Amino acid sequence: MTSTIRHHILSFIVLVLLQALVLDHLDLANGWVVPYLYVLFLIALPFDTPPWATLLLGFALGMAMDFFSSTPGMHASACTVMAYARLLLLRILSPREGYDAVKRPTVAHMGLNWYLTFAGTLVVLHHLWLFFVEVYRFDHFFSTFIRAVMSAAATLLLCLLTQALTAREASSR
Amino acid sequence: MRDLFRFLFRHRNNMLFLALLALSMSLLINGNMHQRAQAISSSNAMVGQLYAWRSEVAGYADLREVNRRMAAALADARNQQYATPLRQDTVHVVRDTVRMQTYAFITAQVINSTVHKERNYITLGSGSLAGIAPDMGVIGMNGLVGIVRDVSPHFALVTSVLGNEYRTSVQLKRTGHYGLLSWDTGDPATASMTDVANHVPVHAGDTVVTRGNDNIFPPGIPVGTVTEVREAPGSNFHDIKLHLSEDLGRTAYVHVVIDLLKAERDTLEAKAVRP
Repeated sequence: MTSTIRHHILSFIVLVLLQALVLDHLDLANGWVVPYLYVLFLIALPFDTPPWATLLLGFALGMAMDFFSSTPGMHASACTVMAYARLLLLRILSPREGYDAVKRPTVAHMGLNWYLTFAGTLVVLHHLWLFFVEVYRFDHFFSTFIRAVMSAAATLLLCLLTQALTAREASSR
Repeated sequence: MRDLFRFLFRHRNNMLFLALLALSMSLLINGNMHQRAQAISSSNAMVGQLYAWRSEVAGYADLREVNRRMAAALADARNQQYATPLRQDTVHVVRDTVRMQTYAFITAQVINSTVHKERNYITLGSGSLAGIAPDMGVIGMNGLVGIVRDVSPHFALVTSVLGNEYRTSVQLKRTGHYGLLSWDTGDPATASMTDVANHVPVHAGDTVVTRGNDNIFPPGIPVGTVTEVREAPGSNFHDIKLHLSEDLGRTAYVHVVIDLLKAERDTLEAKAVRP
């Protein structure tokens, strides 16, 4: 239990720093693709995280990003919405006998289909919210939409890659 | 009453969600309406320090290019220095002892910047201790960069021209006509000049410089060159596209502009608006 908490605190710090110091400075496809890998923290929380903790952690994660990008409330609102959607989605995708206590929301534990549905929905929702709040208006609707979806694909790819790279270390714990 | 508590208890997570959402939305709206002094910005000490470390590391990758530019800037300065004596013996140069220094410049290092967001910010590694204050202009080695928005003792946050938070008044160098700079292209290398009437003869290749009417930038600082002029149907104004002269993606050092006569001018102009 304590080691799980320590693992998640560490991943919070590493993901926020990785996002602020490296990923935010990538200029992929002339600004059309901006991966926001830091949301992996919310995706990878254990199944038995209490709902209030999920919401508060989502808000805290967003605020941490806002401090770095000088955008008060932008990431915080996107992550709060994402945390709430995660609660609903977990209820919808729940297996008949409930979630296995030893399993975690990863490809290795839940299968690729389940993971793509779960993480894909959350990432697309988060990115749509974030990009539309960033633009702050609805003209150029289509180009913002395309930017959000392309970035979501990149984020999802990075999520899969990160989990594949850290999988062995995680299963040995 | 008990039903109410039961209802609240049953919906405590929804309540928490709504509260957090309201909090973040109010931050969002306040942050965008009032541009002043926020604790949530990268000019605060801890985040600034992290960005300073990052810049130390990332800076090595750019050293070759920065050196080349520095050498070029040095060469330009030398050229001007040697050109001056030649001009002194023509009658057009007035050795003016009445005029005083109007602008001073502070050199600052860029420690963090973005170019591909909807509104872009630049963090400088110098702050109020170096003499930087909000609303000072920031220019790069090649042209316009932005305006200081917020300062802390060791850092300054600059709103980049890439983001429509303010409209700088600019001028066509050849004809002298005024217009406003607007970043509506979404591309870090280009911008638009608006409010230039249709009768003004503008051509691709014309230079656009700052007008210097706002006590922020000196007049004549390069902004960009015209790449395209279009006539929008039904509009009285040209649709002018510029190529920005400063490459904001690789600006490493900037000058922060201090207007030494700003206080004097503001006092005088305040008299005019007083009833």
